Amino acid sequence: MSLDRRRFAALLAAGAASAVSLREVGAATKHRVGEIIEGEDLPAREASWYRKLEEDRVECELCPQACTVADAERGTCGVRENRRGIYYTLVHSLACSVHADPVEKKPLFHVMPGELALSYATAGCNVECKFCQNWEISQFRPEQVRSVYLPPEALVEAAKKSGARLTAATYSEPVVFWEYVRDAARAARKAGLAPTVVSNGYIQAKPLKEVLPLLRAVKIDLKSFRETFYRDQLRAKLKPVLESLEIIRKAEVWLEIVVLLIPTLNDSEGEVRDLARWVKTNLGADVPVHFTRFHPTYRLTNLPPTPVPTLERAWNIARAQGLNYVYLGNVPSHPGENTVCPGCGEVIIRRLGYRILENRLVEGACPDCKREIPGVWR
Amino acid sequence: MTRKLSRREFGALVGGVAVVGIADGSDTTVPSGVVTGRGVVGVARIEGETTGRLDEAAVEAAMSAALKAATGADNEVLAVRSLFSSTDVVGIKLNCLGGKRLSPRPELVNALVDHLIAGGVVPRNIILFERSSRELERAGFEISRSGDGPRCFGTDNDYDRQPSISGSIGSCFARLVSERCSALIGFGVVKDHDLAGVSASLKNWYGVIHNPNKYHDNQCDPYVADVVRHPLIRDKLKLTVLDGVTAQCHGGPAYRASGIFPLGRLVASTDPVAADLWAWRVIDEERTRRGMPTLEAAGRQPRFISTAASHGLGVGDPSQLIEVEV
Repeated sequence: MSLDRRRFAALLAAGAASAVSLREVGAATKHRVGEIIEGEDLPAREASWYRKLEEDRVECELCPQACTVADAERGTCGVRENRRGIYYTLVHSLACSVHADPVEKKPLFHVMPGELALSYATAGCNVECKFCQNWEISQFRPEQVRSVYLPPEALVEAAKKSGARLTAATYSEPVVFWEYVRDAARAARKAGLAPTVVSNGYIQAKPLKEVLPLLRAVKIDLKSFRETFYRDQLRAKLKPVLESLEIIRKAEVWLEIVVLLIPTLNDSEGEVRDLARWVKTNLGADVPVHFTRFHPTYRLTNLPPTPVPTLERAWNIARAQGLNYVYLGNVPSHPGENTVCPGCGEVIIRRLGYRILENRLVEGACPDCKREIPGVWR
Repeated sequence: MTRKLSRREFGALVGGVAVVGIADGSDTTVPSGVVTGRGVVGVARIEGETTGRLDEAAVEAAMSAALKAATGADNEVLAVRSLFSSTDVVGIKLNCLGGKRLSPRPELVNALVDHLIAGGVVPRNIILFERSSRELERAGFEISRSGDGPRCFGTDNDYDRQPSISGSIGSCFARLVSERCSALIGFGVVKDHDLAGVSASLKNWYGVIHNPNKYHDNQCDPYVADVVRHPLIRDKLKLTVLDGVTAQCHGGPAYRASGIFPLGRLVASTDPVAADLWAWRVIDEERTRRGMPTLEAAGRQPRFISTAASHGLGVGDPSQLIEVEV
């Protein structure tokens, strides 16, 4: 997933890079568009969400960790550094992964099916999931991974060249590069692209509300419906994530939720039922919920992959609780990949993994019973 | 209550143990490993200039005295040989976050290197390191990666490919530590830390994992202890040295002029926990002298010290601290 020069060049194609490489973009920086950056020579920009404390200390106001950071230190995310009382983000425009993915990979199943999303990430994350699938970028500091200087305008150029109609901040944790997300979303909107975000939702209300109006869709990983899980597996809290979900739902932004089911840790009937009930009550029955299959990785290698029957049980529980769009992920060819009309029960969008096999949607509605299917379809 | 012993008293105390038989210097065959030292902190004075470059003879004398006090050996050669073998690759982890004004002084580090060489460690098998070469250079060290002399370079993101678990932490360790070095020395400074309370001995080892930023909540407890109790550190760490010529009682871990005070001490110990106990004490003494609250009163006592002691890494009870002043 990480980027090398060859892949970057291929992605941008000949014209895209040169179109923006002749000038510096954004704040004063010595880096040039497309430059591979390794080591400590990072493009620092003052962070947008923090407050100054006495004696050159700062408090980060971006995520609920609310790190108090002394001079020369960094927050939990590892990408924000206090330099004599000014807090800097070290990852604005510093993409360590860039790839054009099907939007189904995010997964966003109700957003422009079959289209590509130019997906990008920087190093860093504000939590430490023991089961992180992308820990080789999310759990490292920016100087520890190979990155490319890719300011928002260049990102958008790359998206257009790759044929993507969406952008997606994803792979690691977009909250930690929220200024980059904001500026890239602005540039994407301006270019007629649909900016999206794939996040853990662990963010304070103010920065979330400031950027939401720029986004078309957000996918949130709801890691569990238990505080104990968040404490023990992420060293974080559940409550702020639920608050973020409610804020996103109230905004004019499409929302989907993914729940990675991990055997014995968050897959009990009771927890799945509680989660589904909460979603229906607080977010509505039309918010898609994806239950996806866990594979052992990072610090959680002692558990087996999630058995398919466990996923199917969650699928059935959530639908029985009244959720209209429940999906299964990482189980290719399972019927749980398909979008089914809640009105007549007919399959509207048939999928195989990240591929669309059939899309019968007509003007955002079921072709059979004419029921409107919510989503961002164009 | 700390017990303060003179070196003579200390020698009498430990003389019957491992150092017996080598006191006359005729037998230099000493088994590798720690021969003494639980709770023992050797403290040497360095008189004179504390802000500029130190007098070479004073540095040499202080290092020699501290090593002897820490190990109970009669001379510095025996002190080194009690800890290291001629086949060891010795990594010296420096703490250079504070830049030139609050990092181990090159002249002190060089004195230690000279003693290691005199004690039989092969020069090219001595590696001074920090997280990055840039930090070393900022602290006044010259990068050297080849030749017959000691090496000096940053680990610069050369980590194990997979994380290993130690208690609550899951981290990739610098390959320099996991693969190359057979013995380790921690060489820190005596300073306050905004979150951990103290950054001197144990906290220095955060610099060998890829993700220290993940482990600063709860006053770095139990994470500091979990890093040091990982076998890669615990089994290789033979000696801790602290540059206490100047120390910082407030505003750390970065250099902050208002927190700096002249301490005039060089510390050596084979007990990394006791070394932190000592640092905590002298920092609190200075804070009290200035009318500042102690670290505990300020709500940031270094709890990781007692946690480290509970894992058997050293002495965490102040009443068991044996300060050998020389």
